[in-house]
Parts: sequence; C-alpha cells; structure tokens
Amino acid sequence: MNAIIALSLLGIFTLFTGIFNWRKAMLPIVVIGLAGVFVLNGMDYFTTPSWYADYTHMVIFDRYAVVFSAALIMITAMLFFLCKQYYQKEDNNISDIYGLILFTLVGGMLMASFSNFAMLFLGIEILSIPLYILAGTKRLEVTSNEASIKYFLMGSFSTGFLLFGMALVYGAAHTFTLDGIRQYTDAHAGDLPTIFVAGIMLMLVGMLFKVSGAPFHFWAPDVYSGAPTLITTFMATVVKTAAFAALYRLLFYTFGSAKPIWFDALWGVAALTMIIGNFSALYQHGVKRMLAYSSISNAGYLLIGVIAMNTHSANSIFYYTLVYSLASLVSFGVLMLVTQDNGGDDSYTAFKGLARNNPALAGLMTLAMLSLAGIPPLAGFFGKYYIFINAMENGYIYIVLIAVANSLVGIYYYFKVIVAMFAKDTAPTKIAVQPAYLFALVVAAALLFVLGIFPDWVSGLMN
Amino acid sequence: MKEQSLVSDYIPILIQLCVAIGFVVATMLATHLIGPKRKGANKLESFECGIESEGNARLPFSVKYFLTAILFVLFDVEVIFMYPWAVNYKTFLHEMGMQGFFSMVIFLSLFLVGFYYIVRKGALKWE
Repeated sequence: MNAIIALSLLGIFTLFTGIFNWRKAMLPIVVIGLAGVFVLNGMDYFTTPSWYADYTHMVIFDRYAVVFSAALIMITAMLFFLCKQYYQKEDNNISDIYGLILFTLVGGMLMASFSNFAMLFLGIEILSIPLYILAGTKRLEVTSNEASIKYFLMGSFSTGFLLFGMALVYGAAHTFTLDGIRQYTDAHAGDLPTIFVAGIMLMLVGMLFKVSGAPFHFWAPDVYSGAPTLITTFMATVVKTAAFAALYRLLFYTFGSAKPIWFDALWGVAALTMIIGNFSALYQHGVKRMLAYSSISNAGYLLIGVIAMNTHSANSIFYYTLVYSLASLVSFGVLMLVTQDNGGDDSYTAFKGLARNNPALAGLMTLAMLSLAGIPPLAGFFGKYYIFINAMENGYIYIVLIAVANSLVGIYYYFKVIVAMFAKDTAPTKIAVQPAYLFALVVAAALLFVLGIFPDWVSGLMN
Repeated sequence: MKEQSLVSDYIPILIQLCVAIGFVVATMLATHLIGPKRKGANKLESFECGIESEGNARLPFSVKYFLTAILFVLFDVEVIFMYPWAVNYKTFLHEMGMQGFFSMVIFLSLFLVGFYYIVRKGALKWE
C-alpha cells in the first residue's frame, strides 16, 4: 500500500514538473520514482506493516497483489524509456500525459489488490478514465478522437453492467467484502438464488469487456489502432495485465465455489475469443491492427488459465501476462520506430527490407514475434505451455485442443511480419534510435530469452 | 434479515411508480383542461424579459464557459463532502481522535493542489 501512496504522489508531482517547466528533469524523476515505488512494493512481499491491518477490508497486499503490481510497475517503467523519442515533437501537455499514465498504474495496482467491490470499482475507474483521455492525446488526428470517444462510451456502458451486477450480488449476500461474499457463496453453493447468479453474470460482462474477451471485444481493434501507439502499448501490456489480475482475483476469491455457474459461459467466451481474435488477425493489412487482434486472441489463452482455477493458475496467468507484455512492448516499440518517419504507414510492406538496414530492430522484432507465436526456446512458449498443462490437469481437453489449433493459426500471421522484414526488395532507410529506447527494447527481448530458459524465476513467486 | 425476497415485497415501489406517473399525467391534464386558452402571435413567442427575441438560440458558445462550469462542479462537490463531515465532527473526535481531522486535511490538500494546478495551467484565464 506504501507503493500506491507513493505512486499517487509521484503522479501529482509529475503534473507540477510541467507547470514549473522542469522539462529536462521530468523523465529522470518519473523513472527514478518508479524504481522507488518498485522497491516499496517489493518490501511488502517480505513483511506487511502493521497499519495495513486497518485496511484489509478494502485492499490486501498479499503475494498475489504484490507480484502483479511489481510486473505492472516494471512494464510501465520500461514504457517510459520509449517516451522521450516517441514524444520528441510534442512540447505541450507532455507532463499531463506522464501524470495520467502514472494514475492509470495506480488504478491497475488497486485492481490487483482489492478485497472489496468498492475498491474493484474504484480501481477500474481510476484505470479507465485516464485511459479515455490518453487514447485521444493526438488531438488533431481523427482516428485518435474516434478511439477516445468509442472507448469512453463503450467503457462507461460496460461499467454500468459491472455496477448492476455488484448491486445484485450485494442484494443477495448483503456485503461488499470479498470474504463475506465467499462465505455466502460457500454456504449456499448448491442453491444460489437467481439474483446472485444474474449478478455474477453481469459482473462477468463488465470484466470481460475490460479484458477484451469476445463477444465484448468490438471496441479493442478500433481503440488500439486509433490511439497513439505508445498508449496502445500501454493498453496491451499494463492494462491487460491489470484486468486479468482483477478478473482472476474476483473469480478465485469470491465465486470459486460457484464455479458450475460461470464455468460454461467462460469456456465459451475463451474459445470464441481465441477463434475470433486469431482469424480476424489473419485478414489484417496493418501490423498495428494485427497486433490488436493478437491481443484479443491472447486474452482467449489467458481465459483458459482463469477457468482452470487450480493451485498453479495464478502463477501461470502471471507468467503469461508478463511474457506477453514484454513481447508486446518490443513489437509495438519496433512498430513505432518503423512508422515514425513514413507518415504512419504500418502495413506489412513498410517492414520490407528492415533486416538489411536496421538489423538490430529486425532481430528484436523477430524475437518478439517468435515469442508471441510460441516457438520453444522463448518465454512465450512456456507461457502457453503452463496454461495448457494447467487446464489439462483439470481434464479440459477440448478447450486445449482449440487453443493449440489457434496457436498454429497465429504462427502464420506472426511469421508474415518476419518474412516481410527479411524480404529483399524496397529497403527503408536507416532509422534513428535513441540509446534509451534501444536499451528498453533490448532488456525486454533479453528477458524473453532469460525467462524462457529459467521460467522458475518468476513462475513460483506466489507460492 | 430476510434471505429471500418475494415479488410482493416490491409492491410499495410499484405504488410509488404509479403515484409518480399519475401525478405528472394528472397535473398536465388538469392544466390543459382548466387553464384559459388564448393564442396569438405575441402569446406564442418565447419570453425574454419583455425584449423582442432575436436570432437562433443554437449559437456556438466559447468552450471557456464549459471549462469554468465543469471546474465549478468539481469544487462544488468538495463542499458536499464537507457538510456531513462537519456535522459529525464531534463523533469523529470521540471515536478516532485526530484521524478524522487529518483525513479531511489530506482530502482538502489534494483539492488545493488541484486548484493551484488549474490556476497555474491557465484554465481560469479568460483572455
């Protein structure tokens, strides 16, 4: 909880760096601040300060919350390394963008640590409202405006479903705390009242919207492709991780014994999400939109981890989201570089000849694509492996078969990027990359390798 | 507390709904039936303090009005939180000592920081 307080203050401080014109100091302050927040958060992993006990009915910083928060902070910090080059032409409002990103992170951490429906709702709103603005930060571009308004309208509508569901659950269980609702669910596991079942389902609609699970995924491609690419990266990594942390926490801590009620629905959503995500990605002409659909299909794989729900599920979901975030960071990072000088053309042809003039970038992109496709030495493979094995332990054979078939489809469109990069014709000119930018991408790609070889380093953190 | 609620428990809400709709319908009907009816060009014109109305009401307004209005709403809501706090202040002092005071200090200082921010940002500058 120290981390959340420190992070909020850091966000406010960042807003003021813009007013006082400390432009130069802004990024170092944010990055050093995030490092401090990471340490504060890490301390909660080992010891829990006694005053936390006063707030356990609202937020609990157990290992689950701390580990997910650590991943969120780390990915955000890496994202800030990309900011300097991405926003080099932007001179106004840059501090506001940074501040909003930090506030979004606060919301994400609350979504990983809530122990009360009120905090779940607050977390989702603290995460979403800055995002609505961030999606529209390219004020003069129509697509950015469209992304913002679309996300805002659909997001607030889905929040309505979530709230309505919470109200119905409260109506049955007479409490908002996760503990209280779990006791109620355990006690009435056999014959839960209809009002409670309806509440669970409506809450699931709201949560599935946030993780972009089909059929609630329609906002994702337009918002992802319309928003500034840096914000898209943020949405595909930090926001997705936070949304899955919240979904799993909600289902595992409260509705665990009501599994027969939501299992079939989530099974169907997982299958549908994978199929729609993968097959739509096949037909995309732009790489940014392809990555948006790939983000949807990855949500489908993650939902398998959610429905498996046994002792390894939390770990495997964490490992998968971390690895997926790293690979997304690299792929969107290279995409930003490719599109920065060519007028925003993100088609596959824009990548042609990248390997000849920018071998480093092409190598990084190849690693990211291979990891997303799930090729063995890389971490993406083990992410999928853990999720699938986990589901097999419970005997969910069919969903795993669907997932494996979908992974094979995925390989096709990820390799399309690689093939384009190593094609001989039309070569783009040399792309200027700042050292900090390259550093972040290299670290992320190296982590993909290291985590693939030593998955135990992070996959057992919650035990 | 009762675990199960029956449909019949919601009858008061239904009655309330009927009363609300009934009141609106009844008053509207009554005014139409009882009120005098004089129709003329002057009578149907929209009233603007006795001055003859001019032009269309759908003019584009400066966005500055909107900004001021939204900031007003924001700081107005702050006061709504302060009323119940002030009324219950003595109970707070009894139950949790100075914590009840400092919670409000934190809340207000965040608001002051926000106020300072919008002033420095020039959100209230008119020209």
